[in-house]
Amino acid sequence: MTTENMAPLLQAIGISKTYPGGVVANDNVNIAVNAGEVHAVVGENGAGKSTLMKILFGVEQADSGELRLVGEQVRFGSPRAAINAGIGMVFQHFSLVPSFSAYENIVLGSEPRSGIRFDRRKAIEEVRALSARFRLHVDPLQPVRQLPVGQQQRVEILKALYRGGRILILDEPTAVLTPQEVTELFSAIRALVAQGRTVIFIAHKLPEVLEISSRITVMRGGKTIGEIETKDATEQKLANMMVGREVTLRVERKPYNGKVTLAVNRLSLMNELRATVCDDVSLTVRSGEIVGLAGVAGNGQAELIEAIAGLRSVAGGDIAIGGESILPLGVRARRGKGMASIPEDRISQGLALGASVAENLVATRLDDRLFARGGLLDLGEMRANAERLIERFSIRIDGPNALAATLSGGNMQKVVVARELSEQPRLLLVSQPTRGVDLGSTQFIWRILTETRNAGAAVLLSSADLSELLALSDRLMVFYRGRIVAAFRNSDELTTEMLGACMLGLSRQSPEEMRAALA
Amino acid sequence: MIELLATVFSAAFFLTVIRTSTPLLLATLGGLIADLSGALNVALEGIMLVSCLTAVVVSVYAPWYVAVIAALLAGAFLGSVMAFFHLRLKADIVLVGFAINIFASGATVFALTLATGGDKGSSTNLISKPVPALDLSFLGMVPGVGGLLVRTLSGHSVLSWLAGLLVFVLWYFLYRTSWGLQLRSVGEHPSALEAAGVSANALRGWSLVASGALAGLAGAQLSMFNYVGFTRDMTAGRGFIALGAVLLGARHPVGALLAALLFGMFDALSVVMPGLFNWIPAELIRMIPFVVTIVALILFSYRMKLTSTTFDH
Repeated sequence: MTTENMAPLLQAIGISKTYPGGVVANDNVNIAVNAGEVHAVVGENGAGKSTLMKILFGVEQADSGELRLVGEQVRFGSPRAAINAGIGMVFQHFSLVPSFSAYENIVLGSEPRSGIRFDRRKAIEEVRALSARFRLHVDPLQPVRQLPVGQQQRVEILKALYRGGRILILDEPTAVLTPQEVTELFSAIRALVAQGRTVIFIAHKLPEVLEISSRITVMRGGKTIGEIETKDATEQKLANMMVGREVTLRVERKPYNGKVTLAVNRLSLMNELRATVCDDVSLTVRSGEIVGLAGVAGNGQAELIEAIAGLRSVAGGDIAIGGESILPLGVRARRGKGMASIPEDRISQGLALGASVAENLVATRLDDRLFARGGLLDLGEMRANAERLIERFSIRIDGPNALAATLSGGNMQKVVVARELSEQPRLLLVSQPTRGVDLGSTQFIWRILTETRNAGAAVLLSSADLSELLALSDRLMVFYRGRIVAAFRNSDELTTEMLGACMLGLSRQSPEEMRAALA
Repeated sequence: MIELLATVFSAAFFLTVIRTSTPLLLATLGGLIADLSGALNVALEGIMLVSCLTAVVVSVYAPWYVAVIAALLAGAFLGSVMAFFHLRLKADIVLVGFAINIFASGATVFALTLATGGDKGSSTNLISKPVPALDLSFLGMVPGVGGLLVRTLSGHSVLSWLAGLLVFVLWYFLYRTSWGLQLRSVGEHPSALEAAGVSANALRGWSLVASGALAGLAGAQLSMFNYVGFTRDMTAGRGFIALGAVLLGARHPVGALLAALLFGMFDALSVVMPGLFNWIPAELIRMIPFVVTIVALILFSYRMKLTSTTFDH
């Protein structure tokens, strides 16, 4: 399709954007997307990818620079203008109305009408035709909230296509999908390109970028670092361009042989509606090992971690640390036994956003006489503690008194990690430690978790990122519908596809295979 | 007890129920449209109160229908004030609503004093007009049931018929037109419509204006039919009962109708019961609609808790 003398379909030249507060999000950024290609944009968190896409879609306006559509200069003052020019965007967080059916969501804002009446029959027909044409199968009549995430994403893509989108911007589309769903998404993207659509694909995960794209633009620190044909790219080369230094994606670890620290025995949990969410789950974590919990969100692994942390009551079974049941103990008493916890959501559970970093760093240690005596805080000691931890965990902030809310995602997560690991824990619970965290911080957090393990902690790790689980875990448990359906010892033979098949309930292990990896 | 049953099943009681339900229904529909757009209109009470006085004062000088329209416009105006503060100046909708309620309570007394030349309690010295009742006595010619038809259908306020019609109009608007689809999407997930390139704020603004207009009609019914004239704080919590009725009616126009009828019935009971049970203090009986509201909301939220699904993340 692409020839030397043809103008690119969509081109951004010298785009700069500074947010109020002086954050330079885009600094003289250039990108050229040719018709009929899958153009990947990669870069760390904060590299400016999202800002660039928001400018292309008219959500934000550039301070300087210009956009060209087939060689002609255009301005998008609003998403409506971009939509009218044939650009569609699928955000990372879907913009779907949960109680509406798929077809209502797809036509929302551009509904077919007859008179003043919303013509439902025509809408359904049009959606059926569109989904057949692009082989994006969804049931138009199903309420969106009942659809799995992969299908919700298809609804989003259909929504963009329904509005006549020729250029589709997909913002980290694979972040929420299982490996099987990723495969389906990629074949849909290929079908779109075959029918003359152009796709801009924002991504974190390099193997996926190499698989689906034809050209790649790399961004770092608000600038475009370069453009590269996918056939000339390797994972290592891209990672170096993204980070600007040599990075290793592997973690060194020494073999473990510790005693059982955490023992979960035949545990059953119920949710607020008294439905069983964890059913007869047994597992152990030894000192000096990381046990990974894999599973599609909502299959009980999050509830298990909450129950161990003391945030959820138990319906049956037992949880013990060092052979002693902790069920009668509250959260603080459990922490006193050497438990630490890095929660899934750093914003709502991990940090007090309106408090300073120094305050956040002592929030779990207020009964320590070092920081509080007779109900009065020792501000000097808090500050010294904060400075020590900021240094040790290389948290990038102005000072200990900066508000937690002003930090980037990666630095927020480092504050949580620093607090929980300021003393070596006996048992560490970790959920989604690197969700929405840039590559540099991810590596740092991985290394810290491995160091904590090597120093003798028992680590229970839950993550939606299978490559993270494979990189860190010694053993892996797969959750499906509240039960452990598979258990593996980590090795080079274990792949994300094998885990994915168990996560979706497609394949099961024999009891012998499972027992071998459970203890 | 027999007397009570005889009263409840009389045509006169039915008329009373319709009369007490009408302002509630109009306010509930107003609350519903705002609630569906995602802006809880806690100012229904204050808007009704201002409209009550507007209707009374205008009806002194103009025909009844001009007074009704004036009440509607006063309500719509206050709705647009809410929209301005909430959507443009980003003020919290509940605080804006309470500001309007407090303003209404004080401003109506002040305006009443000016209009009556010093009376701070009621508008008895103003000759205001009522909304006419629709006379359907020709239905008496229908053989057999004619008498029953006349006794139940004749004599309702014009606004009661309008309120019934509005239930259907609102239902059609919400569930059969594309604007209704958009309005419901704004309340549930505003970014969906924003991503489709339609302004959620504009829709929310218009629904607050419509909400105010409906509360304005409710005020007109209250001060031009249920009572003819204005008394200070005459809305007596009806705006808040209407908010409860929105939820109790499962945020649906037909549900709103049923909930308004239920509350209207208890309101009517509190009117007739003191005459029948003189050993029960009248104050206790007048509490009935409020107690019913609280009980109904507790039951409603309990039911919601049981039916909501586990899988909404």
